[in-house]
Amino acid sequence: MNERVQTTFAKRPRTWIANLILTLCIVGLVVYSFTGSQINYNSLAQAGIKFNTMINEIVDINWGYFFGYGDGASFNDGIVFKMLETIAMTLFGTLIGAVLALPFGFLASENVVGKKWCKVGETILVLIRVFPELILAFILVKGLGMTPLTVIFTIGIHSIGMLGKLFAESIDNMDRSSLEALDSVGANAWQKVRYGIIPNIMPELTSVTLYRFDINLRSATIFGLVGAGGIGLPLSLALTNTADPAWEMAGTVLLAIVIMVLVVDFLSGYLRKKLV
Amino acid sequence: MQVYRLPNGKTVKKPFNRFWIVLPLFVALCVGMAFVIPINWSNIRFAELLVILRKMFTPQNNRTWGDYFAFMLTLGDEIADTLQMSFAGTLIGCFLAVPVAIISASNVVKLKWLSVPVKFFLNLMRTIPTLMWTALAVALVGFGILPGIAAIALFSFGIMGKMLYEAIETVDMNPFEALESVGANKVGAFRYAIFSQIFPIFISYTIYIFEINIRASAMLGYVGAGGLGTVIKNNVMYAYDRVGATVIVMFVMILVIQLLSNFVRRKLQ
Repeated sequence: MNERVQTTFAKRPRTWIANLILTLCIVGLVVYSFTGSQINYNSLAQAGIKFNTMINEIVDINWGYFFGYGDGASFNDGIVFKMLETIAMTLFGTLIGAVLALPFGFLASENVVGKKWCKVGETILVLIRVFPELILAFILVKGLGMTPLTVIFTIGIHSIGMLGKLFAESIDNMDRSSLEALDSVGANAWQKVRYGIIPNIMPELTSVTLYRFDINLRSATIFGLVGAGGIGLPLSLALTNTADPAWEMAGTVLLAIVIMVLVVDFLSGYLRKKLV
Repeated sequence: MQVYRLPNGKTVKKPFNRFWIVLPLFVALCVGMAFVIPINWSNIRFAELLVILRKMFTPQNNRTWGDYFAFMLTLGDEIADTLQMSFAGTLIGCFLAVPVAIISASNVVKLKWLSVPVKFFLNLMRTIPTLMWTALAVALVGFGILPGIAAIALFSFGIMGKMLYEAIETVDMNPFEALESVGANKVGAFRYAIFSQIFPIFISYTIYIFEINIRASAMLGYVGAGGLGTVIKNNVMYAYDRVGATVIVMFVMILVIQLLSNFVRRKLQ
């Protein structure tokens, strides 16, 4: 018995050679990826010095700038106001996205439009999902100008991709027994929609939309870096001068972003747990 | 509140619909938020948008369609830069995340004082998007693909750390206990019981994160890292058609990577 175990153990597949080769290939590729980066010790040493100043200055939060008081500054100049602005843009963007995603969701759901048309809907949704939102923001900024509406439209259009897909899934996975029950008591079409479909899919749609709000808030913070509005704009202004970036401004903005995202993340997680 | 009396004598109350509380609150929130961002409708130039789109997606400055497509073919180096950046950044970030994920997984290392702060730290890392990391890294080390790699690695680290510790926490612990009961030490039991369950998930997550990073890295050049975004940044002032051509190249690249990654991940499962 013991011998059989040992012979079998001796015949175990030697995968480690293949694994080693694969690992070496991947490590080689990673090293190769650094070739274009022109690392030299001089610039790294400089980065070290800069890093030191950054650490010293970034923790020096400018509270006057944060809340927008002092030095003739009004509330509208402060970071808190920018935070509110970002949240407002995300809210309206997500709302537009959710409303627009409904027809797309129906178009991509097999139960509603059938097998052939749902493929068309799915393809449209994939194309929207894959298109990078930053490029969309960039194009819209060039066209519509630097207004909050640019960010709202960017978020709205980009949200359609994911929301439409998840809406379609929740419509497809709907529990149909309640519809049959309504049929059996003689409900008409409107009553079936009102008491059968809406209560069935509404919690899921709301939960998905809340989740998307989370994601959108994270991306709304960076639209400022490509010239659209929001909280990213003061950050990109603070870092414009690469020789001597205004680290304390950047630190203030970063603190605001971290607080905002964590709080909204927590709230939306709490609400979603309540919903489902 | 309506109360119905059924024929068998029971009374049924119509349940109160919370929707009527939530709706006014939500409308009030929207109205309040609308005051924060006053939209000046007269400033919005929808016609301008069409002009820009035409400038981007048709040849400009006496260039022909031949030039338009020939320009796309000259972008090979930038595509390579973008791919290199995402590849190196993703792998470095994902591998660095493995020990952190193991530390914070509550079923392997049962040290609450260690795992709770580490989890919070991973949460903090994830609140800052790749583009912002890039802006910070560019301010620190200057232009080039190095800040791009660093930014992507930082972002990948945060997201992989979280996804991986969640995966480890939901792993089947029975093999681990079985191995410990026959005398394996903790490391050995981890290697043969948990690692073998986690490894395919890790590979699949890495590919998924690579896919996210490709999408993000396309625009990193715009804030100073290398890759296709640099072309957009350099041409945005005077040659919109080149910007448009680059956008098309970017889109095709991302689409191809997405399809490949979907294919590979489906094969892995």
